[in-house]
Amino acid sequence: MSPATLLIIGIIILSAFAFVIWPDRGILARWKKIRVDSKRVFIEDALKHLYDCEYKNTVCTLNGIANFLGISNEKASRLANLLLEMKLVNILENSIQLTAEGRSYALRVIRIHRLWERYLADQTSLGSTEWHKEAELKEHSLSESQVNELAAQLGNPLNDPHGDPIPSEELQMPEKRGEPISALKNGEFATIIHLEDEPKEIYAQLVAEGLYPGMQIRMLDQNALRVIFEADGEETVLAPVFAANITVIPIKEKENIQESFHTLSSLKKGESAVVAGISNAMRGLQRRRLFDFGLVPGTKITAMMDSFGGDPIAYEIRSSIIALRKNQTDFIYVKDVERRSKNV
Amino acid sequence: MNRLINNSKDLILASANKMRWEIGESLHDSIIEAIYKDAEKIASRVVIKDQAKPKFDWDSTIDRLVTSRVLGLPIMVLLLSVVFYITIVGANYPSDLIADVLIGKIYPWLKSTAAALSVPSWISGVSIDGAYLAMAWVVSVMLPPMAIFFPMFTLLEDFGYLPRVAFNLDGIYKKVGAHGKQALTMSMGFGCNAAGVIAARIIDSPRERLIAIITNNFSLCNGRWPTQILIATIFIGGAVPAYLAGVVSAASVVFIAVLGIAFSFLVSWGLSKTILRGEASTFSLELPPYRPPRILQTLYTSLIDRTIFVLRRAVIFALPAGVVIWLVANVKIDGISIAEYFIDSVNPFAFLLGLNGVILLAYVIAIPANEIVIPTVLMLTVLVAKLHGIGAGAGVMFQTDSISDTASVLQTGGWTLLTGINLMLFSLLHNPCSTTIYTIYKETKSIKWAIVSTLLPILLGFIVTFFVAQIWRLFVN
Repeated sequence: MSPATLLIIGIIILSAFAFVIWPDRGILARWKKIRVDSKRVFIEDALKHLYDCEYKNTVCTLNGIANFLGISNEKASRLANLLLEMKLVNILENSIQLTAEGRSYALRVIRIHRLWERYLADQTSLGSTEWHKEAELKEHSLSESQVNELAAQLGNPLNDPHGDPIPSEELQMPEKRGEPISALKNGEFATIIHLEDEPKEIYAQLVAEGLYPGMQIRMLDQNALRVIFEADGEETVLAPVFAANITVIPIKEKENIQESFHTLSSLKKGESAVVAGISNAMRGLQRRRLFDFGLVPGTKITAMMDSFGGDPIAYEIRSSIIALRKNQTDFIYVKDVERRSKNV
Repeated sequence: MNRLINNSKDLILASANKMRWEIGESLHDSIIEAIYKDAEKIASRVVIKDQAKPKFDWDSTIDRLVTSRVLGLPIMVLLLSVVFYITIVGANYPSDLIADVLIGKIYPWLKSTAAALSVPSWISGVSIDGAYLAMAWVVSVMLPPMAIFFPMFTLLEDFGYLPRVAFNLDGIYKKVGAHGKQALTMSMGFGCNAAGVIAARIIDSPRERLIAIITNNFSLCNGRWPTQILIATIFIGGAVPAYLAGVVSAASVVFIAVLGIAFSFLVSWGLSKTILRGEASTFSLELPPYRPPRILQTLYTSLIDRTIFVLRRAVIFALPAGVVIWLVANVKIDGISIAEYFIDSVNPFAFLLGLNGVILLAYVIAIPANEIVIPTVLMLTVLVAKLHGIGAGAGVMFQTDSISDTASVLQTGGWTLLTGINLMLFSLLHNPCSTTIYTIYKETKSIKWAIVSTLLPILLGFIVTFFVAQIWRLFVN
């Protein structure tokens, strides 16, 4: 064979190979997704949706299920009948309600989903926009004993990384807390307790804005076109559709309100400050590592020197010198910044 | 009664659960904060700090120098170049000395003793020409560079300079999803990949550590530099006018080393985006204060922990491999050795890669150490081409007295400029030696990662040499 022919064959084989193993879109990745039992997936997803309606106190209809699962009304009604046969739901005139059995089934699935999200957030380096996607696949495949083992390994966490409570082993849930961000009056302070992760486009936008559960905000202004609030000292503007996916609790006591905090990354070479807190977005191993260095609220920290590209920057913490990357220092808050310069 | 107890147990559990929700998850943080506060209070009472500051702060002066934008990079390149230069030049003399004793004196003595005791020739072949010679070769070419490189590297580490290199270069490594300390394990890999893999222990984040381990093989190790230099001198130096030969062949070796660095970045990026995407990842880098290196202790630990350790593993693998090398050349079926059968059957595939069967077989049987690839290639070439009067017989690795002799052996074997170029590429992009593979298994405790680290570079090597060969034949011939 001539080199030209071989060259073409080589390119074809290489692209075919890439086509098979490409992450997310390759044949291998697709095949993994298909392998999950689709009937079970539909049942469990429908139950999850019904539970969600119940938790939010809204009415759940056949249309709602069809929309949520992305299937036709006809298919949704067949699914509802199947659920009825399995004694998981009661079908009333214009709403569908969970039976006690259906509710505990739904809670079991939700428990797996949220625990798995928590696991991904704490113990892997997957990005926040991928947790939900991965958990959607995983929730249909873990056994009960595996789930309890996972929960124990994670220290029986209370909330998933979006701020949603994780049902306990006895499938208990706390009462729903908080209110939508739009309920805040101008000038009022609040803590974000939850970011809704469905639909994922909106969630991705909220994450891109740097919002996370546990973050303190201050409502500045809202009208029909936009919601403006202050988050960690920065003004954030969102469309009401986006803001509707944020749940907050207003802060009543004055002393809990964080004032004029800066991020550690804003500290310039030679400047010192006192650590005020570490954001909840810094979790798992990362967070523990910072604690290991003695980086806790109240610790004095000084920016010492920068590397070639300006990232990472070395800081003096408890008389040792530690280099931190910008994606860490953005999530560490400091106060009492001393604008004095060392070693001049 | 029992019911009452059960009831109150449930009540207690339920209220405990409720309280957990109410207290929330910041509890752990508060506990750690309180521990630090107490520790601080105790320390402030019992520890007396020397308030007077020294007149001249050495640490920050050195730090300002080595992390400065103007001087930082030149200082780093200069220091590392000096280390490599001393290693390569300094290793020659002890290497010759050891080879002179182990191969020049002891080997003929063993042979003549075996002959005097009328030991059957196959026994002395397997044990002396095979096992002993492979072991002797590995020791003589591996020991001196390691014994020079590791202590120097450890001294720099001990002094506190190397963490600053990691700090300076971290920005680049962050872009490919790796840790700045990979700069150190990579440099260590230029000495020896097995040592580089062990050095990856300094990276405490699981994902970044795996990346550093898997990509370490792209650092051209000590065992491959001589191959690169020899082949570049013969084929690339031979293809250009004589007055340019030295410069061009040196540049081509440097090019291969830089290509290896480029591959290590590329593969790091690819790994962090694909199979290692979900592994846990954190960043931390402590910059310890500078301190005078403890020279004696460093010498001792680097000799015991690194040199002897790696050498011992290499010798353990070299012995059986030496036996295999001798056997494939000497076990004959219908008068044709196993080696020739293998070479004939893989020749068509090797041709696609611009290589030949001899090279592929040499890379399979010389797996214990890259250092014995060229001696094996020479032995096999002589065997296949049925050359007489060169070498020391079937299955006995040898080196020629001069580069031109090596060149003439290889040219008789049908080697072209393309073979030379692709051997240089394949020498960079092929499986790690067995010592390194075993070390990867030991360090990761995972057969999976050992296999990935073995197959990934071979696959890359096949792809790169294949395309180079086709494009070469299309445009040059």
